[in-house]
Amino acid sequence: MDGIKPTCREVHRLVSEGMDRELSLVERTRMRLHLVVCGACTRFDAQMGLLRRAMRSAPPPPADPGDEAQP
Amino acid sequence: MTAAPTDMNDLHRQLDALRPQLVRFAQLQLRNQAQAEDAVQDALIAVLEKPERFAGQSTLRTYVTGILKFKIIDTLRACSRERQIEGAEDQSDDDVIDALFKADGHTQEMPRQWGDPDGALEQKDFFRILEVCLEKLPANTARVFMMREWLELETEEICKELTMTSANCWVVLYRARLRLRECLDLNWFGLARSNKG
Repeated sequence: MDGIKPTCREVHRLVSEGMDRELSLVERTRMRLHLVVCGACTRFDAQMGLLRRAMRSAPPPPADPGDEAQP
Repeated sequence: MTAAPTDMNDLHRQLDALRPQLVRFAQLQLRNQAQAEDAVQDALIAVLEKPERFAGQSTLRTYVTGILKFKIIDTLRACSRERQIEGAEDQSDDDVIDALFKADGHTQEMPRQWGDPDGALEQKDFFRILEVCLEKLPANTARVFMMREWLELETEEICKELTMTSANCWVVLYRARLRLRECLDLNWFGLARSNKG
């Protein structure tokens, strides 16, 4: 914990660590309260979500649905 | 029940078409061409030996990818002793993190709003860039990130396999995400937005 109000620097890190471990109640609360008021961290959070969804669906389907059947 | 020969030929063709992409992803994870090709080969053989297991409950791609991930996890486990991670590689460069923030802890710039890539063609381009960005990661960072996000292993398991502390693991993953974010933002979302106006 870096201070009474979390900084973007702390919240960015918590967004990432929250993807890899369960955050403590205090960490989660600090992060959520900050996300409500911070557009930059909210966008970062959305970017991290998209990155995760992309990785989990990789490799992607071929662009042409016929591709998989073609030699 | 055995599949009819024409079905088998069709399955062969479909698997052949999938192979290059699967090898590329296995290679991103394993960083070893021969091991990547072996893992993919094993996965394809597993499908061909028991084609009836693939009952169309998912796409063939999803099904083979699932099997391939297990094969890769086996490979990683089998050689984890030979490939101890050297912590030095990505240890000292806090630049990736520092560069994002001002001294008071605020972000330097407003992160861009990323839309989801729409449609199959756009997705194909997006994944091509994602692959390039993954290739650019330092090898150890990429291995940890791929284990977490592609193989979907739990962090504890990754730490154990690679004999890293949890804290070190989280930092490596955070750095990987920041690097990928920057790379995608520059090479995909920046272009996609300027093309669309």
